[in-house]
Amino acid sequence: MSQTAVIKVDHLTLSFEDYPEKPVLDDINFELKAEENLLILGPSGCGKSTLTHCLNGLYPRELDGELTGDVFIKTKSIHEYSHGEVSHSVGVVFQDPETQFCMFTVEDEIAFGLENKGILPSEMENIIDSVLDLINMTAYKTRKITTLSGGQKQKLALACILAMEPDILVLDEPTANLDPVASLEFIKTIHQLQQQKNFSLIIIEHQLDGWISLIDRCLMLNNKGQVFYNGNLRDGVNVHRHTLEQQGIWIPTPTRIALEIEKQLDHTFDNLPLTVDELASYPLPNNIFLAHINRRSTQLALKAEELIWTKKSTTIINEIDINLYEGEFITILGANGSGKSSLSKLIAGIEKPNKGAIHLYEKSLNEWKERDLRTKIGYVFQNPEHQFITDSVYDEVAFSLRVRGLHEEDINHQVTTILQQCQLTGFEESHPYTLSQGQKRRLSVATMIVDNQSILILDEPTFGQDANSTKQLLSLLKERNETGTTIVMITHDMELVQQYADRVVVMEDGKIALDTSPKQLWEVPSEQLKKWQLELPIQVKLEQRKQKDVSYVYS
Amino acid sequence: MYIHNLNPSIKAITVILSVLLLTMVFDPITPFLFLVWIWILTIFVAKVNIKKYLLYFSPFFIFAAGMFWTNIAFANEPINPTEVVSLFGNTIPIEDIQTALSLSHRILTFASLSLLFLLTTNVVHFILSLMQQCKLPPKLAYGILAGYRFLPMIKDELVLIKSAHRVRGINRAKTLKENVHQYKRFIVPLLASSIRKAERTAIAMESKGFTGSRERTFYRQFTVTTKDWLFMIMMLTVLVTLITLAWQIGYFRWYTGEI
Repeated sequence: MSQTAVIKVDHLTLSFEDYPEKPVLDDINFELKAEENLLILGPSGCGKSTLTHCLNGLYPRELDGELTGDVFIKTKSIHEYSHGEVSHSVGVVFQDPETQFCMFTVEDEIAFGLENKGILPSEMENIIDSVLDLINMTAYKTRKITTLSGGQKQKLALACILAMEPDILVLDEPTANLDPVASLEFIKTIHQLQQQKNFSLIIIEHQLDGWISLIDRCLMLNNKGQVFYNGNLRDGVNVHRHTLEQQGIWIPTPTRIALEIEKQLDHTFDNLPLTVDELASYPLPNNIFLAHINRRSTQLALKAEELIWTKKSTTIINEIDINLYEGEFITILGANGSGKSSLSKLIAGIEKPNKGAIHLYEKSLNEWKERDLRTKIGYVFQNPEHQFITDSVYDEVAFSLRVRGLHEEDINHQVTTILQQCQLTGFEESHPYTLSQGQKRRLSVATMIVDNQSILILDEPTFGQDANSTKQLLSLLKERNETGTTIVMITHDMELVQQYADRVVVMEDGKIALDTSPKQLWEVPSEQLKKWQLELPIQVKLEQRKQKDVSYVYS
Repeated sequence: MYIHNLNPSIKAITVILSVLLLTMVFDPITPFLFLVWIWILTIFVAKVNIKKYLLYFSPFFIFAAGMFWTNIAFANEPINPTEVVSLFGNTIPIEDIQTALSLSHRILTFASLSLLFLLTTNVVHFILSLMQQCKLPPKLAYGILAGYRFLPMIKDELVLIKSAHRVRGINRAKTLKENVHQYKRFIVPLLASSIRKAERTAIAMESKGFTGSRERTFYRQFTVTTKDWLFMIMMLTVLVTLITLAWQIGYFRWYTGEI
């Protein structure tokens, strides 16, 4: 491996026009060597995306603000690059699979970068074929981009970049919007590419599981945009374990479990484990994890029978029966397109089934007045902004109370309590759109629990949230759940299922494939789980590993 | 598939030239004959599905029929009030019928010309060709393409926002005023997310080296060949022949500012 630096960031400080006194990046220094894989870790809002923009040629040209220090890409300062030239050296894959493309078919999109670069049309076809081969998507060459899945779109974004043959690849949270199976597939693709092509890699990520074996070095940023660690990932996690937790930076799940153990058992790991295997190799005491106690009440809240829902002659929901009981914490699992969202919308009365009946507290959903129904069932959409209708956080929460015609005094009392529960106190006058992602999510939940709704349905509420926001949200949901609210949550995050769910409903092709307790789900053969695109949570993996070891010893 | 494979820019120019020529004609027969010619092209040469064609054509037909009726019902005082025909039990001056027919045939011809273009042309190819043949700046062209991609996304999002607001306890709007107010409320989240999406797309395009300059190569190359010029010549010849024919037979009229 050669030791020349392909990127050198030298005392980089950057601030935006609106907040000149509060720099987004503060005196950043680091180097990236040729063919090195660097991980950049930091909480949301630490300036990771801004840093990406400094590396892909967008800044300083498009910057409304001030940039001091310098960034050298292949020994040339970014100030000296002409417009569009940086893209020959640095390629970026962004977070959102929907908004990275401007053409309609796969081949045209890959060609777009080549056209910009001025490659001869006669050479393009070959390049396109070879990059599609690299990512195993040759069959998709003439497909429309809109027909691809999220994971395929991210792989296409990668192919577009590879076609331009950059020396440096920047991956800006490429799997944040993907489900776990698609994420693993994407990471696998990167692994394979590294064996076939020579490039340096900068990985900016939230979710670390899967990436660890790739990483040579790690850079840790805090929420002030300063680097507080630069070196080996393992040592970094070891030394800064408390800072990482405090800053809400995602750390590998096995590491998080080890930290849990430290707290519970007053034991200190000299070397924090990063993978399941490492954690399993520690002589851990048995029964360290409090088993989740399943509470199944028998008080029926909602009963749905023989639901059928078809849209444009495709059956989306196919004869589903489901009962929700009071105080349950239910998670709905399943592959993309298996009908999770559709089922939840039918139950919430947002969509009407073609056939079948839904009864909420023994009264048919059709007989409920819309307004009364909304005081019983809350629904939190994937994008919190879609649900905001007023100009301040306070009004947002007070809205439905005002609709009901309550006294302003009572409203004030209730809103204050809810805001406190959702950790939004102090933001009453803020505009909902100016909140952080985590705050927006909690506000959207707040508006849905303010009427003391007895059923709360959430569509992937932890998607794209950092560790702290997820933790705050789940503890809020747990609290509501303990006071008797039925929680129905669609999720891909198996760790959450393991920690919080009383009951799991697995969807497959518009039907309920399994309706049981999490504990029984873990017993399902791994082949079947794979078909449903489900992964076992780390703790379960760990326990299974230990049992295997035990049986090995005794056999 | 001859018409499908023509250069989109030349096809567009041909359609525009034909429309310009037709605006100067004001008798009912010339446009009608040309209309028949376009229909023959659309159905037998371009092989457009007839059902689909009729579906797209129907609104224009209704519009043309409406035009015909209003022109008869609210016609000017005729110059020769004695020349009349009897239609649906009414006596109507021939002159009025002529004007009305001219206008409605004109609408039908313009519509069928536009449909001939739209139904045989890929929008993406049209924009790419405009860039290559008509010097449309890439900055604008790729902006339009990216925006065109957004349309279905915006539609889906509007549906989502509508149900998201309903869940908040906003009742369905009943009066027009409520409706207007409701759409105002949809606009904010829709705009916010569209702006964000547009920004992300722009950044992604720039980081793939897009600068908006004209110096770029094209994967899909559009060239103008003999067959494209032949198409243009053919269309214009047919039209000019029809006009000359009308002239000689004597029913031709220039457009002189009638309604």
